[in-house]
This record gives sequence, C-alpha cells and structure tokens, in this order.
Amino acid sequence: MDNNTVLVTENIKSYYVLDVGGSKKVVKAVDDVNLTIRKNEIYGIAGESGCGKTTLMKTLYALMNPPLRFMGGKVIYYRDDQEIDILSLSKEERRKLRWEYIAYIPQGAMSIFNPVIKLKETYRDFLDSHLSGKTRDEIFEIAREHIKELGLPIKVLEAYPHQLSGGMRQRVAIALAGLLKPAVIFADEPTTALDVVVQRGVVQLLKDIQESLKNTIILVTHDMGIHANISDRMAIMYAGKIIEEAETKEIFYNPLHPYTRFLINSLPKFGDKGVRASAPGNPPSLANLPTGCPFHPRCPEKTDICTREVPELVQTGEEHKTACWLVSKGDE
Amino acid sequence: MFVKRYLIPRLLQYFLVIFLGITIVFFIPRFAPTNPVQRTISEIRSRGTYLNPADVEQMVADLTRLYGLEGSWGEQYIEFWRKLFKGDFGISFFQFPTPVIELIKTALPWTVGLLFTTTVLSWVIGNIIGGIAGYRNNRLWSRILDGVVMFIRPLPYYIFALGLLILLAYVFRLFPISGGASIGRLPSFTLSYILDVLKHAFLPALSLVVLGAASWFQASKLIVQNVNAEDFVQYAQLGGIKERKIMFKYVIRNAMLPQITNLALSLGQILSGALITEIVFSYPGLGNLLFSAINTGDYNLIMGITALSIVAITTLVLMIDLLYPLFDPRIKYK
Repeated sequence: MDNNTVLVTENIKSYYVLDVGGSKKVVKAVDDVNLTIRKNEIYGIAGESGCGKTTLMKTLYALMNPPLRFMGGKVIYYRDDQEIDILSLSKEERRKLRWEYIAYIPQGAMSIFNPVIKLKETYRDFLDSHLSGKTRDEIFEIAREHIKELGLPIKVLEAYPHQLSGGMRQRVAIALAGLLKPAVIFADEPTTALDVVVQRGVVQLLKDIQESLKNTIILVTHDMGIHANISDRMAIMYAGKIIEEAETKEIFYNPLHPYTRFLINSLPKFGDKGVRASAPGNPPSLANLPTGCPFHPRCPEKTDICTREVPELVQTGEEHKTACWLVSKGDE
Repeated sequence: MFVKRYLIPRLLQYFLVIFLGITIVFFIPRFAPTNPVQRTISEIRSRGTYLNPADVEQMVADLTRLYGLEGSWGEQYIEFWRKLFKGDFGISFFQFPTPVIELIKTALPWTVGLLFTTTVLSWVIGNIIGGIAGYRNNRLWSRILDGVVMFIRPLPYYIFALGLLILLAYVFRLFPISGGASIGRLPSFTLSYILDVLKHAFLPALSLVVLGAASWFQASKLIVQNVNAEDFVQYAQLGGIKERKIMFKYVIRNAMLPQITNLALSLGQILSGALITEIVFSYPGLGNLLFSAINTGDYNLIMGITALSIVAITTLVLMIDLLYPLFDPRIKYK
C-alpha cells in the first residue's frame, strides 16, 4: 500500500436482515465492494436512489444499527502509517476516531441539530467531546474563529436551528464536519433539497474546506452535475455494487458500462434540444436481485452470459475499472 | 407586540375560564336533590329536640339567609359574587357554623404539603429514570425495570396503599398507622413537630410517589424511544459526542417538553385533594372535606373548594403557557 492511501475496503458486505412474518428477508445493500481512496482527493459515488450509496457510507463510518448488519470484509484507515480497522475498534476508540479523523455530513440537514439549544452549544458539544482542558470561553472562541474562516455569518452561533434557512443549516453542517480537521469527510447528498443557487454555495464550501485541509472528501450524490464539478475520481453504484470506477473526466468522456452511459446521456447539454433518453425500467429490488449482472433486465446490449454470471470489476484502462461482460469479454 | 397580540387576549381568556367555571359550579349543586335547610332541621329533630312550628319557620328563614339561598337564583348569584370578592364563601352547612374559608385553611396545608411534594417528586424520579431506561433500552437492567414497572403500575391504588400500610405500619411498626401528626400535638415550628409530620406523611407519600413515578416512567420511556430515532440524536452519535451528553442534553432534554405540560396539569389537580389516600391513611386534607361536602349537599363548601381548584388549574396552565418559550425556543409569542 503506498502512503498516498487513506482508506481501503476489502469485499465489504452490509445487509439489512429483516424479519418479515417469521421468514428472513435479506437486502444486500452493499455487496462485495472494494475501494481504494487516496489522500487529498474528492471521491464521488453516484447511483440511483436505493442502490446502496448511503449504506456504503454508513459502513465506512462503522455506523451499524439493526436491521443493518455487517456481514464480512474489512474497512481499513491509514492514520500516520498505522492501520486502523474501524469495525474492530472498541466503542470509545471509535467515538474518538469520529470527528477527529473521519467526519460525516448526513443527508437532510434540516433536522440534524438539537432544536432546543443554540448552535454554539452544538459546537461546544462537539469540541468538548474531543478536546480536553478547554474552558467554555476558549471553546466559543474556537467556534467563532472557525465560522469566520469559512466566511459564514458569525451570528449563526447565537441562533437556534429553526431560525436558519435550510441552506444555512447545510452550510453549518459542512462547516462542523471540518471543525477538527479530519482526514476524511463523508458527505451524503449534501445538496439534496436545496435550490441550485444554494447548491452552488454549498458545493463551493465543500471545495474550500477540502482545499484548505488537503484531506479526502467522499461525496455521495445522485446529481451527476455536481460530480462533474468537484469529484476527482468517482464510482458508479448499481444494486449494491460498484460497476464502474475511474477519474471523473474519464467517466464522462469514456463511459464503458451501459448504465453509466445512460446516466451521462440523460444529462442536459447546452445547445442540444434532442430528447434525453433514460435507462428503461426501474432499479431491481435489492431483496430479490436478478441472476447474473443485476443490470441485465434493463440493458440494451445484454448477451447470454449477462443473465447467468455476475461480472467482476476489472481493470479496463489506466485508472479505469468496469464490471461488465461487454468490456471484460475481450480479456478471455 | 407580545403584550398586545398575545398577553392581553390570553389574560382575558384566563378570566373568562375562571368566570365560567365558577358560574357552573354555582348552579350545579342547586340542581341537586338535597335541600340543606331541611337537612339541618331534620338533623336537629333527629337528636330528639322538640321544636315548635313557629321556631321552625324562624329557623328556616335564618338558615336560608345564612346559606345564601334567599331570593331567586339570579339574586343569589349576584350576592355570591359580591361575597366571593371579599374572600367569603359563606358558612359551611355540615360543620355549622364554621366559615368555609376556615375549613379550607385548615385542610389546605396538609393537601398542598403532601401532594405538591409527591407530584413533583414522582415527576422528577419517573422522568429521569424513564429517560435513562429509554435511552439504554437494550440493557438488561432497563428491561428488568420495565417489567417491574409494568407490574406496579396497573395495581389499584387502594390495594397498593393498604398493602403498604399493613406491611410498614402494622407488621413492621416503622411508621404511624394514621393521622397527619401525633394526636394532641399542637402545630409549631419546632424540629420535633416537623419530624413528626414527616413521619406521618411518609407512607401516604410513598404510596403516591411509587405509583405516580411508575406512570411517568412509562410515558417518559416511550417519548425517549421516539426521540432516540430523531436525526439530531443520530448526528450527535456520528459526531462522537459523549454518551452522557447525548443522553441528557439531546434525548432527555427534548423528551421532557411534553412532560412539562403534563406536570402543570397534575399540579393543578392537587386542590381536589387525594381522597383515597386521605381515607386509607386517615390523613387530613381537602379530599375528605370535598367528599363530605358533596355527601351533605354543602353548597358553600363545594363551591369554595372547586372555585379554588379552578383558579389553581387555570393559573398553572397560564404560567406554563408563558414559561414554555424558556423550555422550547421554537415557541414564541408575538
């Protein structure tokens, strides 16, 4: 492992195990995912709703609450040349790792702040739990400095969450994630439910934080436009698996998987007034996956093998991996 | 802005509720089939006294005047309000001729002392323990506690109180069996008298606190389990905020909000007394007084006690309404 790597996953599997009327139902939300994420990059993960993006993030963050269960694999962080297997840490070690080394911007910032305390109190709770020996005033001073550096209005600290707009709350959530200068920030749909003007501000803030901390941001969003804007490398997820991974430019200019091509082709382009085609059909239920490649029922280019066997994610170019029989057949 | 748009209408509503409540209380006993004047006279007769008809007529007239039953209901009503503003509820029928206000004054400290303490105590205990048990609802002790409470809570109060009395005052003679203080002791501000009162209050208080706390426990546990699933609690966990802080500042703090309203309502109910407690432990208080008043058709006393509790409940609700923004910043009156 070169020392440019911050996070590696080995065949992680996270399933939702549900008990439906006595019979067990297994939803394979994340199935055999291998990722290698580098320092100082924005890594994007795209895919339709319900393809396992958020579950993947939760797994990487070791946030498993029933019915979500970790079924196998490894999530390793590299911190100062030290390997940390987050899923085998004790509760207290994991608590300390969070926010100091990895931070999270959850989906839907509308209701993530305690409604009965001012935001400076929320700041204080985060700082208090990770820094020791600071007085109340010192902590509020750190919070003020931090807000000022990011160019947010200082008065948000004195506000209650309900007094701020959705965009401002999202910005505070992003600012808070960078508070302790973590090496990795997970951003789960940070722009959802915001209008495009506010989205721009939010994306810019993420970018600013990444540039000043030189850390890694793992950005999940279904919005390909945002990936095009800020992701350095990206992965496309489909039915709990990574089906294509490459540099963002490569994904947009040379998509190899038919699903990726559908995603790219559905984006509006300047000057082009043609009708945009989307992938036909709906994503499969993760509880009842089709045999073979999970995309084959919707794939216009499917062959026999697609319905029988699951394609592996293989190298299909420099820095480009694809899981599709159309591409990997040539190697056989 | 606050005064004009919120406070003044709210105060008007407050007085209107009191006015209507007391008006209803004035009329309802007058529909009851007992005639207090006739009852008093037959009581005197039953003692074997001979009364000549002229005296009886004179007595009827006197009693009717004393009880404020002269004239039409309209006239009585106006007279009633006139006296009320002077703090005069008239004289009691069943403890003739003690003024109602005197009877209330004697019973009130016992009731308020016992019930205020137990209501607040059970609220605090029930909510804190229920909150912690709700937050840690997968721990063994939490589940055991839940089972114990589930057993205690549906016990009929009467049985539970009697059981305590038999066990702790009769079988093990740890506490006095009845009364508010030792017989023959005069109220005074000495340590020994206060200890005596506390000793007498212990069993009634225990019975009320255990059952009261059990029901607060269940309510609070349920609310906490809902708050647990809120986004802001999950976010605090994502942020590695210390567990104790999440539990108290994030979960229990928010779960308390609906319970504050409930506390105010329970406090308002204090002035109706705790009848069964007072009967089982022979404890002095408003419950017994109200019960006798209803039994003997003692209008003045009924009205005195109910008027007091109407004022108490409405005042407490008003206070909570005005104080609520302190607990929940999302509520603001403009």
